Amino acid sequence: MTQEELEREGAVATRTADAWVTIVWNDPVNLMSYVTHVFQTYFGLSRHDAEARMREVHEHGRSVLSTGGREKMEVDVQAMHGYGLWATLQRSGE
Amino acid sequence: MRGFQARGAAAVAELDDEERMVVARIVADVGLLLGGEQFGMADPGAQHARDADDEMDGIFAHLKGLEESLAEPDDPAVLRLLPSASRDDRDVADEFRRLTEGDLRDLKVARLRTMWEQLSEDGPEWEIDAAEAMPTAAALTDVRLVLASRLSLDTDEDADRLHGEIELATHALDTDADDDLGIDPERVWLGMLYQALTWLQESLVQYAMTAEDADE
Repeated sequence: MTQEELEREGAVATRTADAWVTIVWNDPVNLMSYVTHVFQTYFGLSRHDAEARMREVHEHGRSVLSTGGREKMEVDVQAMHGYGLWATLQRSGE
Repeated sequence: MRGFQARGAAAVAELDDEERMVVARIVADVGLLLGGEQFGMADPGAQHARDADDEMDGIFAHLKGLEESLAEPDDPAVLRLLPSASRDDRDVADEFRRLTEGDLRDLKVARLRTMWEQLSEDGPEWEIDAAEAMPTAAALTDVRLVLASRLSLDTDEDADRLHGEIELATHALDTDADDDLGIDPERVWLGMLYQALTWLQESLVQYAMTAEDADE
């Protein structure tokens, strides 16, 4: 996925000026079961939804896991880094 | 080595003495890499542990290169443990690092220290309370990230290739073939350690998921 496509996706997610997104990126180390369980426990997703996001990360290289203000996204990215997942934040419309 | 299995409100794995020492050593190395103090230095039993370490020199020889590379401040393994929070916005990345890096380092070092202390106890069992399952799985992830960086596992294909190389090397060992496979023995050794930790972590995550399903 190119940066341009990512940005378009962010723009679709929300058009609010102060909205940011947390993106989790694929890596060859993290286990599918582990990523699913982290998404379930941290983002409060059902097993089904958490697995769908995990597959998106694994197959498409990334997934948007949360949307909100920059400070909240920093908290989410910090939590993901705490779990050893690679996450980034960006303005959703960029 | 036996993977984690449920026993009461805990998960229990079994590692023999050599396995415990190897895992404890790499855990301590990752703690040092993150800027933590040497685990166990204030411990009166540490001398005993160091004596035992000397006997393990042959095994640990393969970790030497890892330890040396860890000392570098711009080590890619550190970057993998404390990654950038933005791919292209330097201000966002710098601000995030300023706000969170200290806390993330402390969290990771504390988890590694707990794991090291558990592995430094006597006996083959490694017991983890249900509530500690995910923090321990996260600490195992950090150790695996460092090994993966050392093994240059950047893509899923790299990981598959490593798996193939190890199969080839162990098959050659089993059949006493002395063909030169062109595979670095240190790479095979670190790769096997990586695979063992992957397998242990998988059993622990399966335990955590099953335990949570049972609660619902």
